[in-house]
Amino acid sequence: MTDNLTPDQNSAILDRMLLIRRFEEMLIDLAGDHNFGHYHLYIGEEATGATVVESLTETDLLLTTWRNHGHLLARGADPGRMVAEILGRADGYNKGRGGTLHLTVRDVGFLSTSGLVGGAVGLASGAGFALKQAGEDNICVVFFGDGAMEEGVVFEAMNLASLWSLPVLFVCENNNSGAISAQEGGFPSSEIAASRISDIPKSLNIKSELVDGADVAAVHAVIAEAVGGMRKGSGPAFIEAYTERWPGSRPLWPTQATGVTQLAAAWDPSLITGEYAGWIDEFDPLIRFIRNQLDAGVLSQDELRERDSKICDQIAEARAFGEASALPGPESALDGVFAA
Amino acid sequence: MLTKDKLLEFYRGMVTIRAFEEEVRKMHNAGLAPGLVHLYSGQEAVGVGACAALNSDDYIASHHRGHGHCIAKGSELDRLFAEIIGRRSGYGMGRGGSMHIYDPATFNLGTNGIVGGSVPLATGAALSAKLRGTGQVAVSFFGDGVLNQGILFESLNMAALWSLPVVFVCENNGYGEFTEIDDVTAGRPYAKRGEAFDIPSEKADGMDVLAVHEAVSKAVTRARNGDGPSFLIFDTYRYSGHHVGDKQEYKDDEERELWLSRDPIPKLADMLVAGKKIKQAELDELDAKIKVTVIAAANQAKKMPEPDADDLARHIYAA
Amino acid sequence: MPPDSQQTDRNLTLKDAVLEAMFEEMESDQNVILIGEDVGAAGGVFKQTEGLFETFGADRVIDTPISESAIFGLAVGAAMAGSRPIVEVMFGDFLTLVMDQLVNQAAKVHYMSAGGFNVPLVLRTGIGVGGNLGPQHSQSLHGWLAHIPGLKVVMPSSASDAKGLFKAAVRDNNPVIFMEDRMTYNLKEQVPEGEHIIPLGSAEVKREGADVSIYAVARSVHTALAAAEHLQVKNVSAEVVDLRTLAPLDVETIVASVQKTGRALVLDGGYQSFGITGEIAATIGELAFDYLDAPVMRLAAPDVPVPFSPALEAMTVPSAEQVVAKVTGMYGGLD
Ligand SMILES: Cc1ncc(C[n+]2csc(CCOP(=O)(O)OP(=O)(O)O)c2C)c(N)n1
Ligand SMILES: Cc1ncc(C[n+]2csc(CCOP(=O)(O)OP(=O)(O)O)c2C)c(N)n1
Ligand SMILES: [Mg+2]
Ligand SMILES: [Mg+2]
Repeated sequence: MTDNLTPDQNSAILDRMLLIRRFEEMLIDLAGDHNFGHYHLYIGEEATGATVVESLTETDLLLTTWRNHGHLLARGADPGRMVAEILGRADGYNKGRGGTLHLTVRDVGFLSTSGLVGGAVGLASGAGFALKQAGEDNICVVFFGDGAMEEGVVFEAMNLASLWSLPVLFVCENNNSGAISAQEGGFPSSEIAASRISDIPKSLNIKSELVDGADVAAVHAVIAEAVGGMRKGSGPAFIEAYTERWPGSRPLWPTQATGVTQLAAAWDPSLITGEYAGWIDEFDPLIRFIRNQLDAGVLSQDELRERDSKICDQIAEARAFGEASALPGPESALDGVFAA
Repeated sequence: MLTKDKLLEFYRGMVTIRAFEEEVRKMHNAGLAPGLVHLYSGQEAVGVGACAALNSDDYIASHHRGHGHCIAKGSELDRLFAEIIGRRSGYGMGRGGSMHIYDPATFNLGTNGIVGGSVPLATGAALSAKLRGTGQVAVSFFGDGVLNQGILFESLNMAALWSLPVVFVCENNGYGEFTEIDDVTAGRPYAKRGEAFDIPSEKADGMDVLAVHEAVSKAVTRARNGDGPSFLIFDTYRYSGHHVGDKQEYKDDEERELWLSRDPIPKLADMLVAGKKIKQAELDELDAKIKVTVIAAANQAKKMPEPDADDLARHIYAA
Repeated sequence: MPPDSQQTDRNLTLKDAVLEAMFEEMESDQNVILIGEDVGAAGGVFKQTEGLFETFGADRVIDTPISESAIFGLAVGAAMAGSRPIVEVMFGDFLTLVMDQLVNQAAKVHYMSAGGFNVPLVLRTGIGVGGNLGPQHSQSLHGWLAHIPGLKVVMPSSASDAKGLFKAAVRDNNPVIFMEDRMTYNLKEQVPEGEHIIPLGSAEVKREGADVSIYAVARSVHTALAAAEHLQVKNVSAEVVDLRTLAPLDVETIVASVQKTGRALVLDGGYQSFGITGEIAATIGELAFDYLDAPVMRLAAPDVPVPFSPALEAMTVPSAEQVVAKVTGMYGGLD
């Protein structure tokens, strides 16, 4: 895979990945202090979201699922307001009504975040339809998990997108690989008879690619090509980005299984220890990308430390902002059922 | 090699369905069979060829164009007519009508008013058969319109995952209501939709009862041997359009004539006669006999009483 | 693991009581199968099916893909063919995905086949507000289902009832929807061992009273009982009637209670508009009008999506205080 990202792009992607990782790690800690219900983390999948957005413009539209934090942050949502939403506070992006499951940020192009498996995919074809009607070259990106490939609505929506050549980029983030088996008390996220998930969109004549979702350059290559074609009217595309499931999201509730990420693990193997050393060494997209950038000589250890510490500060601020935000007034529960 | 008896059974089945549907048409036009009736004329080879590959205790689940399946699976003609014209002796006491004919005696899980309805029902019956170890197989008949229903895709996935003894039979008559299926369905060939789930999938000529029988027999054998589902698509045609009264202005004469020239009944008749298995005159005689039987069944049904007010709320719950 | 039936302390949670009922029914009838998302080896996302997989095996405790529509349709077909499926739909909100199979197929097969086919299955689902799950994981849509002829709708409020009703549901030859409020999962009480059946369609007076009847199901029964305690202090003796099943509805018990008390409040965690509170109020109006000393009152969830924020979520659940206020209002205010 040729790396056709510029140094600036790589740097932006690294910042996004760091931001997402530190945000998610902070949430695990936050969950110890607050009860904000069931939540899902994007750790292990950062390279996909952080890279996909590189091919998007400001006017493109996006949709996502319960596993949305990485997508929103990658698009530039304010982490403070995200924390506020996750805690159900008045300053949250959705005034506390959505929480982590429905965290949606319209300002950065997100239409909807669905808590239902496959829920946003139908909407994505609709958004693609509207964009096509509008006649600009905007596209719609929908992120969803491998589990969505079991829902009939996804198949119906893909049929329409293919039939009408809609500018919809279906990004299936397949994190089922390495999922601890159900027999061991874990939750595999899908059971699909297809030998490759992408055979399903292919049967609907949708161009489909399989890519290592933890490899920035590879993700960029397939996404840039797909998006380029879509903007010229070539119709939908389907990308299956597979990642080795982060051990912390194997059980029903996320756990800090791999510890707080030590970036120095990228160059100091002695830091890679413990039960999940294999995952960190081989599959952690952040460690992989740091190694890649260090090897390419475009990043130094010191620079990395500096950027990380800035991001950690930003996350601490975001947390403080969210925690300081007031709960919404109870009477506001009744507002906004209907549009004016 | 199929025996002469078997071939004649196919012939008899197809002619019976054709004659039955002609009577239904008359009943509808006379105002006796109100509502929407969808005729199977033109598609007989599929229902007859497929059901002939089944044991009597194998399940079928059918759809809104389902009279042919009921007949091919062995339902009684007079009770079918009775249901279609809303008489008390019908399979549902006249409360279901054409699109809701259930016959437990022939293991028929019903015609169905919901496009795609037959698919999970047959899949579930196959699951039950597998769990109970009965060796039964289930066939789901559905139209091309179902190719675009999500529930088909969900069911294909589960049938493949669990290797269920089910045969998915898509009757592609080219149209869903008044829309050409090719205009609303992405991806070619459609058999790929089954292949995507690693299900053996094939397309065959739905106007040739022997081709249907062969394809379904293979699939049924596979299912009975525990080798899981199959996905079959048969190209066919509905002569009477979507429902009785459909003027079919969306079709041209050329298309209609092309399909008439492929009619499964004369095709089999020609084969039988050419192979010297039977004389044309004997077939004509058989046709006439079948017609008499069908008309007698229709008349019998017409004499049956309608359900009464007490029947309205009967059977809402099982005991 | 199966709850230990030898134990002398038979204080079980509602969740375990249903689990025990499942064990017993699966034990006694080979045709009973359990099917749903993560019900198998994982033991259910709320551990509500724990141990079944180990005991009955993968053939009878079946993990499915995330295909609610086909899962349920498949269960209907299996039921018609002789199995007795228990289908789990993880959240009551996902009934939206099941609706076609439930309403257009399951509910009508027996009728349309003039009794030729039965659809003996149980659809089990968790409903209700709590735990900050947000608008797509908190709904109580029982009113939709009770509206449909051919479906039975069961909503237990307590562990013992849950066991008895669940066993009755499994043995029923109809599609039965068994809805548990997740907030009652861990409520404990004495649960009878073994054969314990509560016929569907039998309401129960959970607290006797003389002045006002409060009608409720599931979690709301506990709200009503708490309110009754408060009302006692105000010298109002409230009777609490647990409907237990919405379909069939025990009209006799409903009417008998209000004939005695002369006042009725219908309480529900579902929406008020076109919901079950209206149905029961109208039933009382039609059958017991002459006994009424005050208009029948209703208290149900406000007509808004259930918001996530803890500050807002609680607003959507009728409270004991609101019940007390409604009842005292029926007396023109009390203190
Ligand atoms: C319609 C529906 N069915 C079931 C669920 C429960 N559920 C939530 S997440 C999930 C697994 C989804 O897996 P996947 O789509 O692969 O996403 P991942 O969480 O692995 O990113 C399930 C079954 C749901 N939210 N919506
Ligand atoms: C779920 C559903 N959607 C729409 C309809 C209305 N409808 C009845 S028949 C039909 C066309 C079905 O086409 P196809 O499956 O090809 O069967 P055919 O009529 O061609 O035999 C439609 C859309 C329906 N009955 N059910
Ligand atoms: Mg997944
Ligand atoms: Mg058709």
